[in-house]
Amino acid sequence: MTELFVLAEHRRGELRDVTFEMLTKGRELIARADVDLTAVLLGHNVKELAIRLADQVKKVLVVDDARLKDFNEVAYQKVLTHLISERKPVLILIGHTSFGIDLAPSLATKLNVPLATDCIDINFEEKKPIVVRQVYGGKVNIKASLRTSESYIVTLRPATIEAKEVKPIGGEIIEVASPLKEEPTTKRFIEYFEPPAGEVDITAADVLVSVGRGIKDADSMPIVEKLAEALGGAVACSRPIVDKGWLSADRQVGTSGKTVKPKLYLAVGISGAFQHVSGMKNSELVIAINRDAKAPIFRAADFGVVEDLFKVVPILTDRVLQEKKSSK
Amino acid sequence: MEIIVCVKHVPETAEAEIAIDSSGKGIKTEDLVFDINEWDDYAVEEAVLIKEKLGGRVTIVTVGSEDADKTLRKCLAKGADRAIRLTDKAFDGSDAYATAKILYGVIKDLPFDLILTGTQAGDDGYAQVGVILAGFLGIPHATMVKKIELMEGFTRVNRELEGGLEQVMEVGTPALLAVQTGINEPRYVSIMGIRKARQKELKVLGLNDLGLKEEEVGESGSWITVEEMFIPPVEKEAEILVGGLDAISSKIVETLRARGLI
Amino acid sequence: MEFELTEEQEDIKNAAREFAEKEFTAELGRKIDEKYEFPWMLYRKAAKLGFIGGSLPEEHGGQGLGCIEDCIVAEEFNRVDSTCAHLLSGIGFAALVPKFGTEEQNKKYVPRICKGEIVCAMALTEPNHGSDAGMVGLETTAVKDRNEWVINGAKTYITCGEEAEFVMVCCQTDPNAQPPYRGVSMIIVEKGTKGFDTNSLKPKLGFRGAPQAELSFDNVRIPLGNLLGQENRGFHQIMSYFDFSRIPIAAGAIGIAQGAYESSLKYSTQREQFFQPIANFQVTQFKIAEMATKIETARLLTYKAAWLVENKPEQRRLVTKISSMAKAYAAKISKEVTDEAIQIHGGVGYVDSDIERHYRDTRINDIIEGTGEIQKYIVARECYREIGFSV
Repeated sequence: MTELFVLAEHRRGELRDVTFEMLTKGRELIARADVDLTAVLLGHNVKELAIRLADQVKKVLVVDDARLKDFNEVAYQKVLTHLISERKPVLILIGHTSFGIDLAPSLATKLNVPLATDCIDINFEEKKPIVVRQVYGGKVNIKASLRTSESYIVTLRPATIEAKEVKPIGGEIIEVASPLKEEPTTKRFIEYFEPPAGEVDITAADVLVSVGRGIKDADSMPIVEKLAEALGGAVACSRPIVDKGWLSADRQVGTSGKTVKPKLYLAVGISGAFQHVSGMKNSELVIAINRDAKAPIFRAADFGVVEDLFKVVPILTDRVLQEKKSSK
Repeated sequence: MEIIVCVKHVPETAEAEIAIDSSGKGIKTEDLVFDINEWDDYAVEEAVLIKEKLGGRVTIVTVGSEDADKTLRKCLAKGADRAIRLTDKAFDGSDAYATAKILYGVIKDLPFDLILTGTQAGDDGYAQVGVILAGFLGIPHATMVKKIELMEGFTRVNRELEGGLEQVMEVGTPALLAVQTGINEPRYVSIMGIRKARQKELKVLGLNDLGLKEEEVGESGSWITVEEMFIPPVEKEAEILVGGLDAISSKIVETLRARGLI
Repeated sequence: MEFELTEEQEDIKNAAREFAEKEFTAELGRKIDEKYEFPWMLYRKAAKLGFIGGSLPEEHGGQGLGCIEDCIVAEEFNRVDSTCAHLLSGIGFAALVPKFGTEEQNKKYVPRICKGEIVCAMALTEPNHGSDAGMVGLETTAVKDRNEWVINGAKTYITCGEEAEFVMVCCQTDPNAQPPYRGVSMIIVEKGTKGFDTNSLKPKLGFRGAPQAELSFDNVRIPLGNLLGQENRGFHQIMSYFDFSRIPIAAGAIGIAQGAYESSLKYSTQREQFFQPIANFQVTQFKIAEMATKIETARLLTYKAAWLVENKPEQRRLVTKISSMAKAYAAKISKEVTDEAIQIHGGVGYVDSDIERHYRDTRINDIIEGTGEIQKYIVARECYREIGFSV
């Protein structure tokens, strides 16, 4: 029987959420086909992770090798090329993460297997995968098919499918001998680097005033700082603000930054790209201020204000301060 | 240093109205402004910074129509030394895989120590071309690159991971590095740059020049075919507050008070 | 006939637009407007990119570009924010130096302007004389005393008069000349010279990023070598300079109109009244059509004038006529278009938007570098001259 591979993603001894999201999708896909769901785990001393995966899936292929301890595309690609050539899975699911982006195209090129990246959904129609992807910054979607092949590789965008766990099933763990011969020399993992943490931990704040590209100018930052201060909250931001160096990286909300769940998330001048939204969508209350009525942030917010932030924010700040004064 | 930078000329859609065209597989582009892909702008800046430090030459390569000259001239004005545009009717409908093949067609014969690309393009967002190209060229790559240090025979890069973490890797050179936004601060185009760009070479090559066959590129040479484009269904929509700045502010304050947030 | 920009001009347009869109924030415009401050920081940034001194000669650090390129930059800057665009006032009359100055004067001043280190000013208008300065004579006099000029008098409404590192002062050097303009000379007075004083003029309607000042000269002693151009030819120098310097002013006015038009267009599709966007009403549509037509007309005239300067400089009278038409017309329609933009925006336009600032800012365009009335006089004079009639 043919297989559907889910490449488990882990970092520093922990499985990443996207692994379970892919397993959920994989389970859904095999329910309608005669295919086995197989988790593929590459790493070193990953027994615990394998057991954890075997709770969720019938078969876990484990390749244990010291050279697979930390993600290295060259080593991963070699091992996966070997596994895929041997077992010919119909589909390989990989997370569209920093690891997946480095690995999937290289693997697909090596194997000459069609690849669709950053998919938000996947289905099989007449044994061929049909994927749904967002294009043009999420303003439109496409449905796309892949060239007919024995196998396909698809990377799934993290945090788009809700991971559902099944009751532990105690699946089989199959150890596969590592096919790696020598140490990969063209690419070496050196270390993890954590940008120095600032004084403020945005993941601990109840109230976040988060600022985006709409602020336009570093000199205008005080207006959001004042609002955050009035609300007794912290200032967070979206990616462009960190790219420009106006706030340190530890203030960034989103895929490449922090995931936050404050009681109030006030998005100021943030357009709401999915990378950002995935870091704040579980906030209890979201209020968005943006000049563009069509900004995607309004699809992630409870309340929206379609206005120039430079006008709204100072007035809102005053109103909050008044309210606090009068309630004292 | 011989540096090649692959760039893409893309429509700016962040603040534009998007409409699907009559084929149902693409968007209407007549009224959109096209410019260099945001990620590629950082790649060009990084290349020019390296050249300014170490000397050498920066070559820009793009696959696109004549309109892409705007982007190429911009790169030249920012300090790149020459540009190559790969244009052919046969290239229409190429996905990331076919595009990488086209780029390979010219780059395989060019000298290089480093190839830089953006990690992804803002239009289709595949994040594939650079890595596939590296695969064809048989050179190592790194994506999501936030920092580049060049050493003798290798480069040390910081790759951006999720959650604010970075991964430091050493990659043997020549290598292809796909950069992430924020790696530097792209410069503005200066009038001096525009004037200098007039003297620089901008070459156009087609299918035959690259020794490619028609079926290897375009839709037939692609992995992916777009079947349909559609506006995503709206799952949730914020309640838009109206009635002037004062009324809006009052409404927000009221909401916050009701939830005990003030 | 060609109506297209060259590739290089297209690139300059894109570069100016990108710079302005990223650097000229409305917030900054409001700040400048509030504080009456010359936008030094923007001026320096723009200079570094070659936007200052585009038409100044390359050997002195300029870009050696022409009037069309100056217009493109002026239009693009003003389109994004009329107040931030006041940075362009800092170079106002700098081109007089390469046009009439000595090698020494060029070396001393022009490179520093191109680098954005200094701004300069030109002083013609006096408390009692503006448009009539040439006909009735200037009250500011410069008298030779051995190897120095001794200047006495006052000037007013001098753009960047206080910020300027040097002012090119129009002085009556021959009080007996007839007509009096044949006795006017331009003399360079540097900031800090003894007896030279400035006083900033406030409040004013708009144009506040280009502060205006009154200047006073009390026995100011200046080396004879500071004469700019020829003695007693100062008025001619200024007038021939105005023929092309007023064209980028027209382009700036068009830029402001264009920006206001674009805001109105967008706003009219978002603002709903009677359950529909106001863009659905013909009354709005006609306003938009009028605005767009006026802008396009003014633009054609202005770029034609710029083209003439570049391509037919020998047809001096035609250049004078068309550039005056362009300046008068662009300034007029810019007032009308920004006015209509406020109307389309309604209360929002009057009270709480940047439109009102652009409306205030563009008003100066009908006054500086020759009022609309003087422009029309020039046009009429040239029209009558063509049939041999003198007015």
